[in-house]
Order: sequence, then C-alpha cells, then structure tokens
Amino acid sequence: MAELLASGGTVEMARVVLDNGADAVYVGAKGWSRRRAQYEMDDEEVIASARYAQSLGKILRVAFNTLPSSGEVPLLLAKAERFVGEGIRDFILTDVGAMRALAERFPGVQIHASIGCTIVNAEDARFYKEAGATQVVTECRMDREEMRKIRQEVGVGVEVLVHATTCYTYLGRCTMSSYTRQEWRFDEEGKNHFLGSPNRGGLCYRVCLTEWDQRGEDGSVEAGRVVLPNLAYFLVDDIPGLIDLGVTTIKIQGREYSVPLVGNMVRFYRDLIDSYLRDRSSFRMEAWKERMAGIVSARDAERREKTASLISESGLSAQH
Amino acid sequence: MPASGSSSSLELVLTLPSPRELSDTDLSPYDAICLGNTYCRRVEGNFAEDLGLLPDAVATLHAAGKKAYVTSPAAPRGHDMAQVKRLIDAAASAGADALEVHNMGVLRVLREKGIPLPAHMGAFANVYTHLSAKVMRDYGAVRVRPNAEVSLEEMAVIARDAGVEVEVLAHGKIPLGITEKCFLLEGPEGEDPKCPSACREEHWLTAGNPGESRARSGAGAWVLKNVGKGVLSGKDMCVIEHLPRILSEGFRIFRVEGLYESAAYRSEVGAVYREAFALASSGGEYALRPEWGRTLTKHSRNGFCNGYYFGGSGQSYVGTVLQGGNSQV
Repeated sequence: MAELLASGGTVEMARVVLDNGADAVYVGAKGWSRRRAQYEMDDEEVIASARYAQSLGKILRVAFNTLPSSGEVPLLLAKAERFVGEGIRDFILTDVGAMRALAERFPGVQIHASIGCTIVNAEDARFYKEAGATQVVTECRMDREEMRKIRQEVGVGVEVLVHATTCYTYLGRCTMSSYTRQEWRFDEEGKNHFLGSPNRGGLCYRVCLTEWDQRGEDGSVEAGRVVLPNLAYFLVDDIPGLIDLGVTTIKIQGREYSVPLVGNMVRFYRDLIDSYLRDRSSFRMEAWKERMAGIVSARDAERREKTASLISESGLSAQH
Repeated sequence: MPASGSSSSLELVLTLPSPRELSDTDLSPYDAICLGNTYCRRVEGNFAEDLGLLPDAVATLHAAGKKAYVTSPAAPRGHDMAQVKRLIDAAASAGADALEVHNMGVLRVLREKGIPLPAHMGAFANVYTHLSAKVMRDYGAVRVRPNAEVSLEEMAVIARDAGVEVEVLAHGKIPLGITEKCFLLEGPEGEDPKCPSACREEHWLTAGNPGESRARSGAGAWVLKNVGKGVLSGKDMCVIEHLPRILSEGFRIFRVEGLYESAAYRSEVGAVYREAFALASSGGEYALRPEWGRTLTKHSRNGFCNGYYFGGSGQSYVGTVLQGGNSQV
C-alpha cells in the first residue's frame, strides 16, 4: 500500500500531519534540507518528533538533502550517527557521494534519493540505487511508463510528489536564485547555510516568479510583464493511477505553509486514498475535487504572500 | 598533485554546437573543443544529435592537434535514451577523446557499454563534493566541472581528494538552469515554425529597477539570457583578473562557453585568454593589458561576474580592474 508522506516544518506540524493520517513525516535537519532554517528542526526537535512517530508505529524521515561542501560531510555523518542511535532509520539525500558514505557507514538504513537528484529516467534511478538509495523521488513531470520501469525493472521504491511546485527549470538543476543573491552563513556547528541557494541551503528567492521583460538583440521589448511558468499543483486526478501503478510513497510538500493548511491537506489525501482503496471500482473523483477547491484556494493565497516576500528579499520587484 | 589532476599542461576548451560555429571560429587559441548542444536536441546541426557529422568534425580537430569532446543531453527522458546510446557509439567510433556527461543515467549507460570513452562531468552534473566526484570516477569520469555554485576553494578540495581533473569556467555565460519545454515557442517542438530558428536570435530577460533594487538590498537588476531550453547568466563569467591565483592553486583546464555567442566572441575571447595565460604562467608580473579589457568589454553586453567563485552571489564581480571594483556594473 502506498505510504502517505507529509511535511514536518515544525514539531507542531509533524505532530499534526501524523495525527491527520500521514504514514510518515519528513523533517529537515537544521542547515541540511531544502528549506530555510525556520522550517527545519534542531537535533532535539528531530528526536522528539521521531519518538512521537515511533509511538504511533509511524516513520520519521530526516532530510539531509542539500548539496554540501566536501568538508561538511563529516558533520552530516556525525549527525546521522546520533539520529541512528535514537532509532531513526530513514534519510533523504541528494549528494551522491554523501549518499554512498551514509549507506556504507550505516548498513540497512533507508535512503531516499531526493527531488534534488532530478531523476528523469530509469537509468538515473539505477545509478542512485547503486549508490545506496532504496527509493527515488521522480522528477515532477515523469510519465507513468518511466515510473513503472523504475518500480518493476530497476527495483527501487518510487516516490511521487502530488502536491508541490513545477519549477520553470528542472528542480535541482537551477541556480537562478543564488545567481541573484547568495550569502555564506555558518551556524554554530560549522554548517554553511548558503543563503539563497535552494540546492545548497534550501532558501530559494523564487526569482523566476518576478515580472520581467523579454528583450531582443537590439534591446527592444519583445514581450512585457512576462511570467516564467511555475505552478503549484495538486495531482489529485493521478492518485488512483499512481496507487494502481504501485508507487511506494505519495508525498505532500509544504513545510512553509501554515499548520492548519497542511493538516487539512493531509486529511484530504488520507481520506481520498482510503476511499479509493476501499472500493476502486465505484470510486468517483468529482466530489473530491469540490472538497479540494477550498484547500487549493488557501494554499494559493499563502503561496502568493510567501513568493512576494521572497522576491522582495532577493532585491527584485515582485509581480504586481 | 596539481589541482586539475595529473596533467600539468594548460588546456583551454571551447564549446561549439554545430558545424557552422566550427567553421566560423578561429580555433587557434583553443586546445580542445566540446562538440554539441546539451540543452536541446533540436538545435540546428547539433553535433550531439546529427551523428553523421561527428567523424569529420573529430578528424578535423585531431588533424589540427586539438582534442575533441562530445556533449550529451543534460536531462534526457526515457524516450531519449535510445538516442543517447547511439550518440555514445558514434562518439566512440569517431574517435572522440571524451563524452561530456550531465545526467547520471547517461553516465551509467556509458559505463555499461564498457568502451574506452572517458567521461567528463558537465556543469549540470551537480558535482559539489569530492565524494560525488569519486562515485562518478568509479563510473568512468576522469574530469569534472563542478556546479557553478562551487567556490574555487571547494573546487581545489575536489581536485585534491577525488582523483579527477577539475575544469574551471574561465569566461562566458554561466549555465543557470535547464527546462523541459522551450520558452521561445508557443506550439510543440517540431510543429512550431519558430523551431529551430528562434534560439538563433538573442533573447534577454530583464527585471527589477536597478537603482531602486540596489538601494533596497544591493542585489541589482536581474538580466538573464534565455536560449529556449536553457537559462544563462546575463553577465559574462570572467576570471582574467584572477589567473595567477587560479594557476597557483593548480587548475589547468579552463572552459570558454561558446554556445549562443558570435564567432567574434569565441575567437577574440579565446585569443585574449591565451595571451593572459601565457603571461600569468611566465612567472613575471601579471597585469591586465588594456587591449584585453577592451576586447572583453566589447563582447560583454551586461558586464562581468565571478561571485560564485568567491562565495558570494553569482552575479557579483570580485576584482579591481575590469569594472573599477564595482560589483554591480
């Protein structure tokens, strides 16, 4: 049965998503995940949240999915050792070298190759499997046939983001934000938070979402007030197909959203998945779409506000 | 061991997408050419797609005493992999010296073929650590170009500890992103009449009010180059002021990005760097010659940048001569 995985941006959010039906929650170790520090957890918070998950027979997965400096990998392994000692066995990584090091140091841990790995074909998945990944997050636009190949022929778990953002660029291969603004900031453990780099420190200024002009060779405006396509989505229609396909994990992103909104999203997907599993033949999507409309509206409002704030922080002008 | 690996001789590499650029560029400043366009398979005359072009191109370069590398698609979907396999076979049989690889699936396919064609990891391969470079080395990589965000200091660690050569982008637009769909087309690729000519023209993205935004945060205006399925920096990466330091750290392999640039850009920028490397390697006093600055400035529409190498914003410029110390030009 597909696992429902949801975001734990705070201790409270981790608890709420588990209480609302998530089978697993992912949290970011501070400085080490694809969100800024305010949506990550320090070690004590990670451990406390893991204990709560364990008490429910559920899973807490720790994201170490930034692309670090070579010299930071020992910090990652030391942190992982502490977490493994506390019974945490599930990790999310992007850097393939760190992934192999973790897999060799802690045999038997579960490693998910993160969305930042930009896995676009089945051979990619094979590569990450050989580096130690037990599951791979598929790139947002991957087709079903490629997912099937990864699940059945490559033989690793397939994780699909059903609520996320389709970046203008391939996620994990974009440095537009850090090109615009990046600062090196070290925490007390010596970890660089690489502020402004989503790949390295998690903070993305979403500069792609600013309003811009497209100009030709002579500088004249070819198109004004153009927006690069970057949409948040709900793949609600796809869920029955994904379950039938045998995907391992259905993931809901949202650490930066409010706790009530994330709680509602998780409850919605839990109910939808359970309803489909109860009786696949008579399942109808229409009613679920009505219920989803309210969530989409709340999500979009929060996202708009967040995006405007991030673009402003980057120094660019936000959309009007 | 020098930072760039076992080779101590300097290598200046230029990227060229198609026969047109191969014939209109003065290649004399360059030691090696990387053939093909990694962003889009449909680029006219793309060496990485029109495989019949490879034998002649490789032979021509070899006859001129230059290495010939061939690039591969940066983000191939499953349905692209059959072409990738043909590309690897064609590059090997043409006698190419290496395959530039951005995608891990492509790297794995190359290894499985078991042919003596080494891999050079490209800018989109996301090499950030020496450990990643070592994994890729196990799959046949002998050279890596770290991601644009990796600083010179971090690159030196990769070179020292991974046992691979490290390539440094010396000059040209920084690759900032790849996209699945072409931004310059309205209809599907292959149906839209603007394909493949749209990306032959220049398209720039500009945003923000320079004065206003600089006052607010110091970030300056945003200028990018959109090439359809790729986003490049608007400014030109430029390390000419820093060559003595970079050479002293042992780096010996340098790239000039020639995609989506003019023949004059490729020819003249290469010539400037060849002279600058000669001076910087001579052991004497190094100072920028005014004519170098004039040539580079002439070809730089939006100023220079090199910020990533020093741990800052990619678009900022660290230096004192070319922009008068002004990082926001």
